[in-house]
Amino acid sequence: MSKRYVMVHDENRCIGCQACSVACRSENGTPESVSRLQVRVEGPFGDAPHLHFKYNRVSCQQCENAPCVTVCPTGAAYVGDDGLVSIKADKCVGCMYCVAACPYKVRFMNPETKAADKCNFCKDTRLARGELPACVTVCPTDALIFGDANDPQSDVAKLINTKATYQEKTHLGTQPRVYRIPTKRGGIQS
Amino acid sequence: MIELDRRTFIKGAGAGGATCALATLLPGSLAALEQQPLKAVGKEVASICEMCSTRCPISARVVDGKNVFIGGNKEAKSFGGKVCARGGAGHSLLYDPQRIVNPLRRVGERGEGKWEEITWKQAYQTIAKSLNDIKAKHGAEAVAFSSKSGSLSGHLFHLGKAFGSPNSFTHASTCPGGYVIAAKAIFGTKVKRDLGNSKYIINFGHNLYEGINMSETRGMMKAQMEKNAKLVVFEPRFSVVADKADEWFAIRPGTDLAVALALCHVLIEDNLYDREFIEQHVVGFEAFAEEVKAYTPEWAEGVSDVPAKDIRRIAHEYAAHAPHAVVDFGHRATFTPEEFDMRRALFAANVLIGNIERKGGLYLGKKAKTYNKFAGDKVAPTLGKPGVEGLPKPTAKRIDQVDEQYAMMWSSGGIYQTILDATLEAKPYQLKAWVMSRTNPMQTMTDRARVVESLKKLDFVVCCDVYISETAAYADIILPESTYLERDEEIADKSGKNPAYYVRQRVVETIGQTKPSWQIFKELGEEMGLGQFFPWENMESLQLLQVNRDVTLWNTIKEKGYVSYGKPLMLREPSMVAAFTAKYPNAKPTDEDGTYASAMSFKTPSGKIELSSDKVEKMATGRGVIKYRPVQLKQADELYFIQGKVAVHTNGATHNIPMLANLMSDNGVWIHPLTAGKLGISSGDKIRLSSSVGSEEGTALVTPGIRQDTVFAYMGFGSKNKELARATGKGIHCGNLLPHQTAPVCGMNIHTTGITLAKI
Repeated sequence: MSKRYVMVHDENRCIGCQACSVACRSENGTPESVSRLQVRVEGPFGDAPHLHFKYNRVSCQQCENAPCVTVCPTGAAYVGDDGLVSIKADKCVGCMYCVAACPYKVRFMNPETKAADKCNFCKDTRLARGELPACVTVCPTDALIFGDANDPQSDVAKLINTKATYQEKTHLGTQPRVYRIPTKRGGIQS
Repeated sequence: MIELDRRTFIKGAGAGGATCALATLLPGSLAALEQQPLKAVGKEVASICEMCSTRCPISARVVDGKNVFIGGNKEAKSFGGKVCARGGAGHSLLYDPQRIVNPLRRVGERGEGKWEEITWKQAYQTIAKSLNDIKAKHGAEAVAFSSKSGSLSGHLFHLGKAFGSPNSFTHASTCPGGYVIAAKAIFGTKVKRDLGNSKYIINFGHNLYEGINMSETRGMMKAQMEKNAKLVVFEPRFSVVADKADEWFAIRPGTDLAVALALCHVLIEDNLYDREFIEQHVVGFEAFAEEVKAYTPEWAEGVSDVPAKDIRRIAHEYAAHAPHAVVDFGHRATFTPEEFDMRRALFAANVLIGNIERKGGLYLGKKAKTYNKFAGDKVAPTLGKPGVEGLPKPTAKRIDQVDEQYAMMWSSGGIYQTILDATLEAKPYQLKAWVMSRTNPMQTMTDRARVVESLKKLDFVVCCDVYISETAAYADIILPESTYLERDEEIADKSGKNPAYYVRQRVVETIGQTKPSWQIFKELGEEMGLGQFFPWENMESLQLLQVNRDVTLWNTIKEKGYVSYGKPLMLREPSMVAAFTAKYPNAKPTDEDGTYASAMSFKTPSGKIELSSDKVEKMATGRGVIKYRPVQLKQADELYFIQGKVAVHTNGATHNIPMLANLMSDNGVWIHPLTAGKLGISSGDKIRLSSSVGSEEGTALVTPGIRQDTVFAYMGFGSKNKELARATGKGIHCGNLLPHQTAPVCGMNIHTTGITLAKI
């Protein structure tokens, strides 16, 4: 595997405006009732006047050790040559094991295709055309940085090598590839 | 906190089904047509967004004949090729089954919701006959024309002029008028803020991270993240801007003026102001300095609850970063009847540190004509205008000009809410008809009941819109406008520090029978017998007139969608002036200090910046000098009611758009835990808000992110007509709680009031 696509979400820059979730929906034709991507503005936490929000990107974490792939009985969930956790819709039997196994609760059954679905960094659409994922393209405040972490010259490699970042639920051993730069307020530990 | 309620699948399908059922019953809607694939005009079309008033440059691509992906246009550097949630969701409006795509005539009582489809010809004939009859009986001035200010508003106002009425209005007095009028009084013109280069930003609740203005929002984030700028926010609620700030002060609603004046007090008394700048470029400083002597930080603390020591410290920090520091003069939200002096005081804090035409401060827009003069060369093309001869000059006075103190607002769109006074009280004379285009006073004006009463009383009401908005629900005739994704428009000036142009172009072929409003008003004009005043054939001929038949220029603008010329220029910034003169050999010679400071001119009576104004004094006695006057915004036993913008909706316009309605369809009322506790209210409880004019039912959202004496709700929700099936009845309607009150000089309607709160 030569590539290691990662997404960095800078919570300092994120304003929770949902431009990313709308762009994702437009690009991927996501049905109304489900989502591949949301940024949840949670809080405020703390005691006034020292309050802060948390800007929580909720989407597939592209685990390097993905429970959804391990449990899939048909091989519909697989890790592609690009390292991305992907789905072969025609192999999906709708058993929903992957939905249950995902510790980040970001897999869902697509009501139109009847197959498991989730964020795939716009692999079939924008990445295939050599473009950045839809969410990254539109983000008004440049809070999302995407690229190949195996390329030391890439912005993402530079970022995760120089900035304090954290990933969600690393204790499960999933090795998620969505990195988060914690907001300077609120002291979320990396 | 920003409630994003994605419906469950079952619920969503149920709601969708109900929506479809209603939409098929609704004549003239898109649902009544057979669904056809979208026909793309080009592979990727550069255009202009219309989901809010910022009008960002966009680039749109049709996906598989059924969808449009809308992104930003990368040619526009300060916009960064970005688009917000509203902009990205534009296609969802395009093929919304509830969109109106055929002209409609009211058949029941006004506002009853009974419609029949008619042809364009029938619509034009009905309108022409009704308006011409009114003109014959009562004079052309008995008809008011109003439009949200914007790209095509000029075409409606042109029709109004051709018809002979002086009464044309934009939404300015319900939204951005306050700062515009204050800027006119001080600088003689609008000014812009260079947030991106600022090192210290003081923000009085200008919610740029939720009410997104792409270029400015990006500028502020750039300043914060890349230039390490400090952001200080004064705001009664913990907004996203407050969250991103280095310091947040939960200021008492409506007291920004006191804090701004106290900042000015410290700047002057502690000798932190730019004396040289004031001497050269400012008049009225002495009178202002004399007045602000009284406004100590200690005094301001008592008014605003912002600690005096912090005001003093912030004034010193701000001055230490001068001139690359700015007090943001804000946008909407008329917190107080003292709006005019509040905005003037914010501008004054900028003038005192001499940040005018300096990086990170305030500057004047530089259109081609000015820019070329400095460059000594034709760097940027200027646009031509179609001259129309013989337009009638109305002899009747405008309905809002009765009081001369509003003279400045008159030229900026007028005092919108006076339409109600003229209709209900014949003040200063009786209005009989109202023609509207893409404006929704039922949401954006105060005292909703009074708007309803006015619309019911008028003889004739016409609305041009994309939906049966709350206001259009009271029209006699509804004219369906094409969405911005189906329209070509005139080339628009988007100049900032250097000249720039851009253009709106259609991305897909028109769906249904809709027309762009420039065409609607031209055709209507012809039907009314005013054809001579519409000498252009179509938008293409207008655009060619604008580019003076320079086809190369025309094609460049259309292909790129956005073109800018020259180098950014701020007249007092030495590095920028140096780069400018290096590039243009014929450039105007600089002053000795290497700037163009002496060439700075202002369109005020004195030609200088007027901190105190004789002109304003003549318009409204006692108001020449910026002054604090106590105001009462609520009764002792009431809570302040304030409102603001959210990132996924625009004022009174987007709440029925499917994608955005799905993201957020309700506005929970923010209540402090202690206040809620006293009233026995918990989050999610049904509550009632009552004010002097109305009462609304809503849902409580208990949060520490609000003052104890204040409640907050995002505006634009709680529509009351059945035609906006997704938006109606969801959340509280802010305009139904706000009383009718107009601020002196700037004519703004006030957006803060007192309410009582009860659990239902």
